[in-house]
Amino acid sequence: MSIRTSLSERLFNGCNIAFFIFFGLVTLLPFVNLTAKSLSSEAAVVSGSVNLWPVGFQLGTYQYVLEDAMFLTSLGNSVLLAVVGTALGLFVTTITAYPLSRLRLRGRKWLLLMFVFTMLFSGGLIPMYLLMQALGLVNTMPALFLPAAINVFNLLIIKNYFEALPDSLEESAKIDGASNVRTLFRIMLPLSLPVMATIALFFAVYFWNDYFTAMIYITNQDLKPLQLFLKELLVSSSSEFLKDNVDAALNTTPQSIQAASILLATLPILLVYPFLQKYFVKGVLVGSVKG
Amino acid sequence: MKHNDAPAALRRGTLAMRPARSRAGQRLGADMRRDWDLYLLLVPGILFLLVFKYAPMYGISIAFKDFNIFEGYAGSPWVGGKHFANLFQSPDFARVFCNTVIISVLKIAILFPLPILVALLLNELRHMLFKRTVQTVIYVPHFLSWVIVGGLFIDLLSTNGGLFNKALGLLGIEPIAFFLDSSVFRGVLIASAGWKETGWSTIVYLAAFATIDPGLYEASKIDGASRLRQLWHITLPGIAPIILLMFILRLGNILEAGTEQILVMYNPTVYNVSDVIGSYVYRMGLGNQDYSFTTAVGVFESLISLTLVIGGNALSRKYLQRGIW
Repeated sequence: MSIRTSLSERLFNGCNIAFFIFFGLVTLLPFVNLTAKSLSSEAAVVSGSVNLWPVGFQLGTYQYVLEDAMFLTSLGNSVLLAVVGTALGLFVTTITAYPLSRLRLRGRKWLLLMFVFTMLFSGGLIPMYLLMQALGLVNTMPALFLPAAINVFNLLIIKNYFEALPDSLEESAKIDGASNVRTLFRIMLPLSLPVMATIALFFAVYFWNDYFTAMIYITNQDLKPLQLFLKELLVSSSSEFLKDNVDAALNTTPQSIQAASILLATLPILLVYPFLQKYFVKGVLVGSVKG
Repeated sequence: MKHNDAPAALRRGTLAMRPARSRAGQRLGADMRRDWDLYLLLVPGILFLLVFKYAPMYGISIAFKDFNIFEGYAGSPWVGGKHFANLFQSPDFARVFCNTVIISVLKIAILFPLPILVALLLNELRHMLFKRTVQTVIYVPHFLSWVIVGGLFIDLLSTNGGLFNKALGLLGIEPIAFFLDSSVFRGVLIASAGWKETGWSTIVYLAAFATIDPGLYEASKIDGASRLRQLWHITLPGIAPIILLMFILRLGNILEAGTEQILVMYNPTVYNVSDVIGSYVYRMGLGNQDYSFTTAVGVFESLISLTLVIGGNALSRKYLQRGIW
């Protein structure tokens, strides 16, 4: 009996491990393929002979991309957007979440309801566009980060985290005569690093990855963020390929250069992610279980 | 400001009400004195909320007008429900509405259970280093933009040396033009969405596992329960509330079939199966400046979502005694 159990358990464990190795490979292979393409000669890429290893190794594509003024401008815009947007978003969301986490606050329920309602119902794309136009924000950087500064989902995660901190912290700060603002910044925030790191990562990733907002509000080439630049690069050339217009497609950006651009745009996230991962697992755990 | 109301309340109060009112007034006054800075902290957040979330709701009025950019909100003439009437008669709208519902339902049917299954399997991994490595790897695609994922899939599925078509070739299957073929394009949308989000979506369920009392597993082990029985009788019921919560939230997004994804991946050849409400509003609203009609489409979408979440919650409260609020 016990031998049979352990045999079937071992069989299950083996299959399970095999499944996750497969899952991991499916996740990683597209990157390996793309890296190989970015390091191969364009001729090898176009003839379709590149699989997981570069054919006709070269680094010229990376040099080309890193010398491309448009790529660098949009990269700069994205870095600026991610830094300013994350700083503002984290600050406004935190100072809004703290009062909402104090159960004694009058009108707390109504305010929360007002925030949560916007998760379920919104004015929609066109009224938002007309508003931004009326505010004079079309074709400006703030159009990309001001509307996203408060994210209700992030707000709820931070609020839940503050609620879960022991009441005694606030009481002892009160006895020492600290104001609410001082309590928040000197006592609550240092204890909230995991959730702050998580939300900072969420904001940064959002601002780094968002192309849609820019596609709506930005037409000025000099203000386009990296993702919009990439989108225009990929979609214009792939649609030529799709129409079997090979001549036109060959005149657009070579595939190896597209591959290098994609990888360079992904690199910052892949570099930051491992360092923040331990925080966000913990931070998200607290937020999601309570919420 | 508000604590000045206390004496006023006192003056207005009837004899019987006076003590209660004055106590409440004093409490309010004391609250304001103690917590004025908490209210101050709320000011920027409320301003953002009013300007960027509630002000656009006022803009919904243009769905009932023939909006003209030169006349503005006030000057454009009211036309009542004309745009909504057009919407229900428009063959375009019928098409994008069907596409939206089909793609969404397929995504829910296939991609909603998948993370639950993967989380259950992850939970059974006993080798911790391997488990952590797997988690690290499968979370990554969530952090990539749809532009990048779209680029990866265009590349992977290309008929000209795409890795996937090469693999099909090994099985003796002719290359398929996935991005041009209306019969498979929805499959591409669902597969790429699954590739991007399945790993990340497990995180909520993994968190839910941590809240299950380990004593339950100990007790069932003593009773001789197999791992499968534990899974069925302890783990699944333990995470059922989270599954329900995620499902109701997902239901609210049923008319958001993945606009950002589709705008990157679709092309005119496959519009017939992939043009959804979001992409249609984008093209017609901003491209053709058909502001009033597309606002009506947006309002319709928002109202359905709101109804589904509230309805879903009410049903779940009635039949499962659990709701999200």
